[in-house]
Amino acid sequence: MTASAEAQRLLPRPLLITLTVLLCAMVLAPILYIVLASLNTDVGVAGGEFWPSTFSGESYTQIWTTADLSTGIVNSLVVCALTAVASALLGTTTAYVLVRYAFFGRLTILRGLVGLQSIPGTLMLLPVFVLFSSAGNYLGLTVIGTRWGLFVAYLTFALPFSTWVMVTYLRGMPRELEEAARTEGASTLVILWRIVFPLSLPAIVVSGIFAFLLGWNDVLFASVLTRPETQTAAVALQIFGSTQEGGALPVYSQMMAASLICAAPVVLLYLAFQRYLVGGLTAGGVK
Amino acid sequence: MGVNSTLTPEVRTAKPTPQRRRRGVTERQRPLWLLTPGGVLMVLVILIPLVLALWISAIDLDQYTLRRWIEAPFIGLDNYVESVGSGLLHSVWISVSFAVLATVATVPIGIAAALVTQNPYRGRAIVRAVFLIPYVLPSFVVATVWRTMLQPDGIVNATLAKAGVDGGLWLSGPKSYWTLVLVEIWAAWPFIYLMALAALQSVDIEVHEASAVDGVTWWSKLRRVILPYLRGPVLLACLLATLNHINNFTLPFVLFGAPAPDDVNVMPMLVYVTSFQSLRFGLSAAMAVVSLILIAIPLFAYLRAVRLDVHEEGARR
Amino acid sequence: MPYRKMRAAVAVAGATALVAALAACGGGDESSGSGKTINVLIGANTQYPAEQQAWQESIAQRFKSQTGAEVKWETFATANDELTKIQTSVVSGSGPDVYAVGTTFTPTAYSTKAFVTLGDEEWKKIGGKDKFIPSSLGISGPDEQNQVGIPWVGRPFVMVYNTELLTAAGIDKPATTWDELTQHAKRLTKGDQHGLAVAYKDNFDPWKFIWGMSIQAGNPLVDGKTARIQDPAVQKAYETYFGWLATDRVVNPAAVGWSNSQAIGEFAKGKTGYMALTSALAAKALDAGAVKGKWKFALLPTVPPGATTRPANGVEAASILSGDNLLVADYSKNKDLAFQFVKLITDQDAQLDLYQRLGQLPANAAAAQTLLSDPKLEVVVQAQQKSVSTPFTGAWADIQLALTNAVVQSIPDLSKGPISPEQIDSRLATAQKAAQSALDRVK
Repeated sequence: MTASAEAQRLLPRPLLITLTVLLCAMVLAPILYIVLASLNTDVGVAGGEFWPSTFSGESYTQIWTTADLSTGIVNSLVVCALTAVASALLGTTTAYVLVRYAFFGRLTILRGLVGLQSIPGTLMLLPVFVLFSSAGNYLGLTVIGTRWGLFVAYLTFALPFSTWVMVTYLRGMPRELEEAARTEGASTLVILWRIVFPLSLPAIVVSGIFAFLLGWNDVLFASVLTRPETQTAAVALQIFGSTQEGGALPVYSQMMAASLICAAPVVLLYLAFQRYLVGGLTAGGVK
Repeated sequence: MGVNSTLTPEVRTAKPTPQRRRRGVTERQRPLWLLTPGGVLMVLVILIPLVLALWISAIDLDQYTLRRWIEAPFIGLDNYVESVGSGLLHSVWISVSFAVLATVATVPIGIAAALVTQNPYRGRAIVRAVFLIPYVLPSFVVATVWRTMLQPDGIVNATLAKAGVDGGLWLSGPKSYWTLVLVEIWAAWPFIYLMALAALQSVDIEVHEASAVDGVTWWSKLRRVILPYLRGPVLLACLLATLNHINNFTLPFVLFGAPAPDDVNVMPMLVYVTSFQSLRFGLSAAMAVVSLILIAIPLFAYLRAVRLDVHEEGARR
Repeated sequence: MPYRKMRAAVAVAGATALVAALAACGGGDESSGSGKTINVLIGANTQYPAEQQAWQESIAQRFKSQTGAEVKWETFATANDELTKIQTSVVSGSGPDVYAVGTTFTPTAYSTKAFVTLGDEEWKKIGGKDKFIPSSLGISGPDEQNQVGIPWVGRPFVMVYNTELLTAAGIDKPATTWDELTQHAKRLTKGDQHGLAVAYKDNFDPWKFIWGMSIQAGNPLVDGKTARIQDPAVQKAYETYFGWLATDRVVNPAAVGWSNSQAIGEFAKGKTGYMALTSALAAKALDAGAVKGKWKFALLPTVPPGATTRPANGVEAASILSGDNLLVADYSKNKDLAFQFVKLITDQDAQLDLYQRLGQLPANAAAAQTLLSDPKLEVVVQAQQKSVSTPFTGAWADIQLALTNAVVQSIPDLSKGPISPEQIDSRLATAQKAAQSALDRVK
């Protein structure tokens, strides 16, 4: 370990190990339950078994026909990835203006962005649906049932948060580089693209991840704004959990298998992106 | 909000970076047009529906008037009067207290997780991915799993029984409230973790080196140097996490079912059941608006108090 | 009215005009279907997913060859999803053309007035009222003239019992009165074995017991515009229902946390005598458990608790009238096609085909007739014939909720011991108030 790395050490080793083990155990205990349940039979899970009396990997093959999981995952990936990119870029742009420029109403906008987060989704569902469907009725635009309709909704819901993440980040960012570029005659867009975006990559990745997960986990809006061919993974997944009136058994085992399968792409994406989470500011060379 | 007091102290003096109080925000050549795309979206998809929702809260909209909802009778504040009399305040109280508790508990967990994954070591990528799992599992899967584990004869009670403790009922009665808090903590702490992790990246290497030279202990370095960097982002995360907890519908719905036990009849459950099971849209919109106002007032008071404004601070570092 | 003209009119006149225009547009659609599409919303079948898909494809093909039109299927996961879908579609005047709606939601759907009321002409289009089992029409509308629901499939409730355990306890045939059921359950309870599995924490089960026992005692819970929940018959029903666990001790104490599927899971382990409320759909799950080959369906008791014969005003209700009705949306621009589609899937051969593929019981009388000879189905078909419809009022969803809520809020006390009559009475007072206020709002 280099001296610099040693200097950056935050916690003594024993504490670090203890905390890591504790946190992992806390996360993994219920996950173990999910894994075991996914290898159990539906009756076994419904009957409250922890350790399956018979192990079977059948659920992992059956789920592809029970619900249209592959379509769901593709749709979710497309919509959520677009949402993540768009909201991160738009959020950065908005945040940049809010941080660097003074104008009337700026404070109101900043507070309003937080305030928007307190609106419950259950209140918005019906009005948003009415609005989207009237776009179809009045303007001849089909919004309901399309991927981009869902994208617009998620983008908007993610935007206040993305903007705030970027506001907190950008306000700590030195402005020398920008100023230098501006004296050389660079336009705002160029400055954003060449300086602000690269320098704030860690925060952009974070806000992108959150925007992605917002769409990934939503069921409320997706269930009314999509059709079978544009259904998201979360909606497809929910089909497994349905308890039908009339005694049919929900397919617990497949649901657990399906949720592990659905979690996989997100975890992989995160692993791919996490290297960008490291040192954006210092890497910029503003020293 | 309890977290506030622990995070507020002004410990910024420890920062070695010279304070450059230079030109702050400028008023010249403001590229305000850059705000339009986001602004248009928010007006279209949030503000207009919100106005529509406000209007719905003032009409008698239920299954009988739904089809010709434009003609539904205007009844002014009647829905609001009824909502206050139908257990709404109780629900708001449960929601807010549950949300604050969950936030307070997730902050130390999230920060600890961020600290242990900050310095590189073999296998760190895996640990980071593990920490993310509760957050990427859909809410209703999390709720279903916990519901199954917390059954009267489930794995949790079986384990407790071996230790000689009677677990009792987790999903009904007074203890259901704590179940809700605990499961929410389990599912939501990675949010704080991710925010704290991102904030840790903004700590200059010089800061570490300066502390190393000074030879301070890890604890005082952490407390005096590192944590202040986390203050802003984590504070924001707390705020948003609390609001997310308040508005979490899927978790209580799947954990406890509808109708919910009185102890966990949180605001979104009440709104959802009124809206989509009793089909009283006007009343449920009024309930949502009342709770929105009840939450927004302290929220804005708080936002004023903590000066979320970035005007001066932005120029400070 | 041509569509383009309508759209122009709408664009000018705004939202109010839209609703009017859609309503006005109702009469004049063309019946040739080529190039058109109808949207159909049905429940997702997770027990037989591949079979359901195959069925959907085969119906779509047949419909295309008959009319030239396409069928697009949409599925919903839960009853709540379905209600949400109905509501958003009704509000916006767009969505599926044909809905398969659970029987207990039909009154709610009817009260929105967003579905086509079936006149003589409509019934003629789908092949006449006579083709359906008479009892299955019981929850199609408030009266003969105002029906919206076309019976599609039946899903009656039955009990299931463990043949081995009953024989071992010397019981030669399943109980036919609730008291007898309690007695049997007591005899069956010993060691780690329980007499009865009941899902006390299910979102839908509890009210079905209460309604059944009450109507058998002569109280249908709703009398015109009056709720009759604070009533001795209902009180007795709740006492019996709670008593199984708290005083008779014939139910596993863990049942206070069970949903219906968990109760089935428990029964499937083979250590329970009776499971009190299930349907033919459970067969697959039961055969996957330890009870394979050792279980049989039986009718739910039809004599109210505390009695040996049904009182004169009591109704022989073996089950709520349960299943799916088909509804055609009022806003549909393809009503003729929608009715042709409904005719197609309610005809005898299509209904038998559906039964063979998915195990859904036909509502078509001729199709049901051919199934009567099947001994496996005897009990289920009987239960379907003895099904009684729940009150047809837009307030029913609220009443159902109030009845279930009385159980939900009693669970903490139930886990500690018996619920006193006074406690029940106070819960019933709350439920009565909620039910009455829902009935008062009926328009």
